[in-house]
Amino acid sequence: MAQANKAENEQVSTSEIFDGERILDDASLSQLDSEKFSRYAMIGDALRAKSDNAITIDITASVAAALADEPCHNVKGIEEVAHQPAQSNVVSISSWKKPFSQIAIAASVALVAVLGVNTMQQTPVVGDDLPVLQSIPVAGGVAPVSFSSEGSALQSAQQGVRELQQQRIGALVLEHQRQSRMAHALHQAKTEKVEENKESN
Amino acid sequence: MKPFIFLISLCFSIVVQASELLSAKQLLQNMATAVHQRNFDASFVVMKEKGMEPYRWLHAQHQNQELELLSLLNGAGLEIVRVDDKVTYFEPQSTPYSIKTDTIAGPIPEVLFKDIAVLEQDYDFVLGGKGRIAGRPAQLVRLESKDSGKYNYWLWIDTESSLLLKAAYVNQVGELLEQLQLTHISVTPEPAQQLVELLNREFPEPTLVSENVISPQSQSNWQIDWLPQGFTLLKADRHKLDLNNELADYYLFSDGLVEFSVFVQRPLAGKRPSGALSSGATTVYVHNSGAFDVSVVGKIPPQTAKSIAESVKRAL
Repeated sequence: MAQANKAENEQVSTSEIFDGERILDDASLSQLDSEKFSRYAMIGDALRAKSDNAITIDITASVAAALADEPCHNVKGIEEVAHQPAQSNVVSISSWKKPFSQIAIAASVALVAVLGVNTMQQTPVVGDDLPVLQSIPVAGGVAPVSFSSEGSALQSAQQGVRELQQQRIGALVLEHQRQSRMAHALHQAKTEKVEENKESN
Repeated sequence: MKPFIFLISLCFSIVVQASELLSAKQLLQNMATAVHQRNFDASFVVMKEKGMEPYRWLHAQHQNQELELLSLLNGAGLEIVRVDDKVTYFEPQSTPYSIKTDTIAGPIPEVLFKDIAVLEQDYDFVLGGKGRIAGRPAQLVRLESKDSGKYNYWLWIDTESSLLLKAAYVNQVGELLEQLQLTHISVTPEPAQQLVELLNREFPEPTLVSENVISPQSQSNWQIDWLPQGFTLLKADRHKLDLNNELADYYLFSDGLVEFSVFVQRPLAGKRPSGALSSGATTVYVHNSGAFDVSVVGKIPPQTAKSIAESVKRAL
């Protein structure tokens, strides 16, 4: 009860100070709620359409408060982010991913696929059928692997392999594209040869 | 009188049927001729489930020479120039090179510009419905694969100019996996200036497609036990891949319409499951068989790629 009274009292005095109805001294200052004061000032400015300075609404405090209440999903992952400055793109991606890893139940192949997309899009040597590789349900019995918990060493090793595999897939697609440019000429040469053989026989 | 009318109508229906049977193939042949003879400036897009690539395609017949230019308009780009039987590929990050062949290997299968008859063994030519594509009346022609382990290819051909308006790779349940659609085409009596200027340019000398591209040594390394119907080996060698310098035993197969590549490589460290990726009609299947990795890349269904990859064995 006493607290409510005090708050109400402060509000009244803040308003009085703002309106200049109360002399500014130590006694009144102790009752001033500076937050409210600035809000009053802002309201006043807005009403008077003093838009020289864009209205700045400080939401940092409330965001911080909301974040404090938010449950932490994977503290370990977050710590790792803090401790390891991103050395390369890949590392940063993987650390970024870790907080989500408990939620993400991804088949390892699907992940390769998704990451594969990135590599291929980044590769500037993109030709006509070297495009966005899109993940599809794997044809064939591949056990889904969850990247949830243990073994970050294992994970980083896997990351290395994955990176190699992406590189390889990119190389294979490009090579197929280049080689198949010769296919038609080869096919023609071959059918001609077969026909020649037939004729000579 | 009645039997006579019946007889006439019977004859007529047979004739009609015969002419329809003829025309699917005839339409394709007309298209091949039209693509070689007309001066046109076309734009088309290739659509995959998640991506779209726009192209510009110019063709001209000038002083008994064929001039053709195909360029990919998005990203770093790709330019393919053809002057008669010399095709030059300009790609970012690699030196331009030429191949001695008379068709551009772009998003449209090359055989469609040539003698379509070579496909008769593996595909049925079926006449479909009529429609309107890119503002023109179009006739659908379907190349239906006789082997259910391959994709079909559908084409929509302009009934007036015989030019290609739309094409698509279609799977066995009738889903369009990868579509090519013309957005604009203008057929002109005169060749485009841009193409005529090509004649003043120098292009690299073509590398000969040597006859002996199947090296017996690499052929004896591995045994590919299973292939879909109609595919034949065009090339077999061992070479390093451009991008990552990895060594691979390489095999190229074609059925005349589509190609696929088989790569046998040293396995990557670590345990990786086998699996497929696909983009439009292109499938990449990576098979980890323990002592070696087999990858199959091509415009074939994932299940087919898987069967091919798993059939690769060390030759005895």
